[in-house]
Amino acid sequence: MTTREAASPTVLVAEDHNHDKFILQEVFSRAGIRADLRFVSDGEQMLDYLYRRGAFAAPGTAPPPSLVLLDLNMPRLDGRKVIRFVRADETLRHLPVIALSTSESPKHITEAYAIGINAYLIKPANIPDYVAKISSLWDFWMSAASLPSMEVRP
Amino acid sequence: MQDGRVPVEPDGSGVVDLTSCDREPIHVPGAIQPHGLLFACAEGDFRIISVSANLPALLDLDPKDVVDRPIEVTFDEASLGRFRLALRQSEGPSGVPILMQFRGGGGAGLDSVVHRHDGLVFLEFEPRGDESEGAHAFFRRTSGAIRRLQAARTLADACAAAAREVRNITGFDRVKVYRFASDFSGEVIAESRDDGIESFLGLHFPPSDIPAQARALYTLNPIRIIPDIDYRPTPMVPNRHPTTGRPIDLSFAVLRSVSPIHLEYMRNMGIRGTMSISILRGDRLWGLIACHNRLPRHVGHDARQACEMVAQVLAWQIGVMEEDAVTRHSLKGKAIQRRLLSDIEELRDHRAGLIGNSEALLDLMGASGLCLYGRDGVTTIGRTPPIAAIERIVNWTIRADGAELFQTDRLPLLFPEAAEYADVASGVLAVPLSRSPPRRVMLWFRPEVTQTVRWGGNPEKPVEPGPDGGRLQPRKSFAAWTEESRGRAVPWLPHEIVAAVELRELVIDVILRKAEELESVNVQLARSNEELESFAYVASHDLKEPLRHIEAFAGLLGETIRGTGDARLGAMVGGIESSSRRLRNLINDLAEFSRLGRHAQPLAPAALDEIVREVMDDMRQRIEESRATVSCEPLPTVECDRNQMRQVLQNLLSNALKYRHPGRPCEIRIFARTDTVGEHRDADADAFVRVFVADNGIGFDPKYAEQVFEPFQRLHGPDEYEGSGIGLAICRKIIQRHGGKVGVEAAPDEGATFWFSLPLPAGRDGPSAPPAMTSGVD
Repeated sequence: MTTREAASPTVLVAEDHNHDKFILQEVFSRAGIRADLRFVSDGEQMLDYLYRRGAFAAPGTAPPPSLVLLDLNMPRLDGRKVIRFVRADETLRHLPVIALSTSESPKHITEAYAIGINAYLIKPANIPDYVAKISSLWDFWMSAASLPSMEVRP
Repeated sequence: MQDGRVPVEPDGSGVVDLTSCDREPIHVPGAIQPHGLLFACAEGDFRIISVSANLPALLDLDPKDVVDRPIEVTFDEASLGRFRLALRQSEGPSGVPILMQFRGGGGAGLDSVVHRHDGLVFLEFEPRGDESEGAHAFFRRTSGAIRRLQAARTLADACAAAAREVRNITGFDRVKVYRFASDFSGEVIAESRDDGIESFLGLHFPPSDIPAQARALYTLNPIRIIPDIDYRPTPMVPNRHPTTGRPIDLSFAVLRSVSPIHLEYMRNMGIRGTMSISILRGDRLWGLIACHNRLPRHVGHDARQACEMVAQVLAWQIGVMEEDAVTRHSLKGKAIQRRLLSDIEELRDHRAGLIGNSEALLDLMGASGLCLYGRDGVTTIGRTPPIAAIERIVNWTIRADGAELFQTDRLPLLFPEAAEYADVASGVLAVPLSRSPPRRVMLWFRPEVTQTVRWGGNPEKPVEPGPDGGRLQPRKSFAAWTEESRGRAVPWLPHEIVAAVELRELVIDVILRKAEELESVNVQLARSNEELESFAYVASHDLKEPLRHIEAFAGLLGETIRGTGDARLGAMVGGIESSSRRLRNLINDLAEFSRLGRHAQPLAPAALDEIVREVMDDMRQRIEESRATVSCEPLPTVECDRNQMRQVLQNLLSNALKYRHPGRPCEIRIFARTDTVGEHRDADADAFVRVFVADNGIGFDPKYAEQVFEPFQRLHGPDEYEGSGIGLAICRKIIQRHGGKVGVEAAPDEGATFWFSLPLPAGRDGPSAPPAMTSGVD
């Protein structure tokens, strides 16, 4: 972990289930990750957040995320449709999006990659497993991978 | 299908038979009996074209003055008026009595009859019989005879009455009623006789005694008379049909000269005068009223007419009695059908219904046994051959008679192996219930009737070469010759066959209705099964979500509590954790079980050997850890869903490893045996392979042998052995989908042998097939 406190990266989590939000926070905390977790409950809210509109129009309410964790099955605008929006938008296209799912079905996994997710994470029931997965995910996206800067747009 | 007696044909050994009579042209003898006169006239101008040569002897007329001359030359004007009128009124060849007077006088005391045949008009004269006494007396006598005949209540009584009446009318020494069997042998069933003459009652005569063309003639012309067997035939002059040039056809002439063979036959019987009257049922020659006299005897036209009427009334009586019997039988049949139908509806099973009415059914059919044969089961009622024999009879009748109804009263003669069970199945009536497979047949059986037939003389030794060479001579001895007939049953009568066909319709209706019901139940079942599976799948999927949360929260709680070192709280949260883990396993298994039908692949040939090898490779580590020895004999190739078959073998092998005995090294044997159809009677395949996975583990009480295949049934607590108890249920479901069965033989502490069977691809029984099963599990 090399992140400084002042610059805690923002992680946007699109997750409709309160239990899952709680568990994810706990997992981040137990993994020792200092991240600014921002939660939205469906695809529309997520787009509002990304475009800083509606509930997120006020300045400071929607810091740009370094990573998006996206539950694929959400009410209203679901995760799959949101990804299409994100990938179609020049300003958002490079945003790393990690799919969160309970499905182990190879078909679902293949479909998810086909629409442009960066990684597919099956939510573990076992807390140590969950913690280990989130830790390595974090290390990869925050340290190992070099990503285009959000500010330098084409 | 009924075969006649095999005729002994003339051959080099000199053995001949009266069937040679069949070839004698008895309708064109070219001569008449000399007690009467016969004139043949051309149709149209009635020119006389031929006359019997005894004309000068009887009437002092020269044939030259008669033949080829107009009829007016011979008969007077008034006679010819009657003659023309009679011919205008008559149509067929039956004789019309007519008064004819010769121009030159003479001929008093002669009756005459005129008939037409073959383009000619025949005028016959014969002496008036002693009994002729005028129309009134004739009517009185005949109507009395008919009244007495109609009073008879049984066939035997009616025939006896007819014999008595004919004897009263004619005064013959012996009058017998002779009935033809289906093979045209005959039996004397009634008799009226003088005490001084031998009785023929109950005697049988072979078909050759009344040959085919004689029977044909008897059907056309109902009465024959030979006043004196020792007559000298008098020829027709000329014996030539004027237009066809052929000999004159005397089929309908009362005076027709008969076959010398017939005369010799009668002579051998000690008979001098005979008469016979046909008993006709429609066009069928049912029998004869045959009259014999030890001395010559002439019966005049009137008396013959009276006898003919007696025979007609008898025929009518027989018809009424037979129809009455058929009607009563049919009513009885309808009553049984009604009861049967209501029983079948009540019992919901046609077999049970038939069994419940077996006595009435067998009685109706005059049968001693009934078999409902089908691939889906064989039901027998009463006395029948063994099922294996019935199977062969069914196959043979299919070959013998296509898909149609088959019946015989002499099965052992047609199908030699039936001699072994002739006592129960000499008669068979096989009624197919379906034309296409699966084949169903209803078979009725009749026992052998060991009939002792008393033949009028040895029927097989009837012929001796005549004195003048190759000429046939009928047998000389008529001493009764008894013969036992074997392998014969009472023949199936037409109305009995009709009853069997009606029963078939009833059973077919029931079977069809049941099949329809079954089909609709199956559709419903399949639908609800599908619903259940998708419900189980959805349920297991939706159950997973909260369960995952429970597990996660328990995990979080557990880590927190363990950090505090509170052992009691730790145990509690540990309980939540292990319970939720177990719940997860159950849900996963349930999901897998419900997914089986949905993720099935089409069946394709796969070598079971290879599948076992793959499974063993996958499980290598567990096998080694368990220190188990797994041996596998060669296994066949089967049609299967390879993934599912893998799963079956993996589950069975995994069980064998899991339940190994702690006190001995684990040994597992995998082998296969070909299976007889036996338990798979309802299946489509002909051959099955049974694959066994035998272990020497802890085994179990065989009373659980069924239960272990039920979902979530376990014989051990979860703390002893891991698992949800779905593995064997999955195996069973997969094998059932493949058309096979599963089973297990086990004993506590002695290991278990699980097996499953699979249909073998048709036509494979080469050297690669596993050895046949001997007895149960080895």
